[in-house]
Amino acid sequence: MQLKLFVLSASSFVLWLAPLTALDKTLDIHKALQGVSLGAAIACAVTAGNIARFQAEQNEIEEIKTRAITADVVDEIATSAYISQQQRQQEAEQILNPREHLERSLALTYGEDEESEPIVQKQLAEPEQNAESERAERALQLRAKGWGKAKIILEVWGVSKGGSPKYKAAEAEYKRLTEGG
Amino acid sequence: MRAVYLGNYFIAGCIAFSLLGWVASLHPIAFRAVLCLLAAIACAWGLSWLLDFSLSKLLKISVADLQALLISGLAMLLIGLGVFLCS
Repeated sequence: MQLKLFVLSASSFVLWLAPLTALDKTLDIHKALQGVSLGAAIACAVTAGNIARFQAEQNEIEEIKTRAITADVVDEIATSAYISQQQRQQEAEQILNPREHLERSLALTYGEDEESEPIVQKQLAEPEQNAESERAERALQLRAKGWGKAKIILEVWGVSKGGSPKYKAAEAEYKRLTEGG
Repeated sequence: MRAVYLGNYFIAGCIAFSLLGWVASLHPIAFRAVLCLLAAIACAWGLSWLLDFSLSKLLKISVADLQALLISGLAMLLIGLGVFLCS
């Protein structure tokens, strides 16, 4: 493209000046040649101008792109520098303010305690489950021996037959254990 | 590159005025016609200088650009016709 531009510019210059200086104006053929060469020179100059203008516009677009990319990179670097500075500042504040650090540690400890509550409940619930399984095993053994329900409840739960809530609860548990087993 | 395309358009203008001189040399009537055309161009040029502010708003270019265009147009005319007449 650059070569074409150069050739067109040079040829327009030559076609403009060479026929006017070299040819005789009194001869008709020379005059006609001058006219033709001047027309061709105008065409070459205009074409070269259009090519150069296109190139100039492309260069401007490239410059705008380069500027935009540079601005993006600078912005990214500035942002990362700002973030790292904030992190360093927070670390320095933690080092310089141990009370706050302790408070945060305590808060974390409390958080862990809150999370460990279900574990304690599980640990507390485990003996109850063991007792229940022991009662079930004992009740099944007695039933296998041919004991009656009231006698088993009296033996295992220690509740005599009647309408008391304790007996009803023991009876319900007996049913659940024997039917589940 | 901007200077290159402006230079090429300037050369094209100079060649156009040389071509105008060549047309004027063909026949006396053509000579008068070209003279009339040049007179019209001179009038337009002078009026453009007088009305440069309103013309710049009309063409949506700055006054400095319009003045540069007028000066370069005069230079093109002088160079183009000068080259033709001196050759």
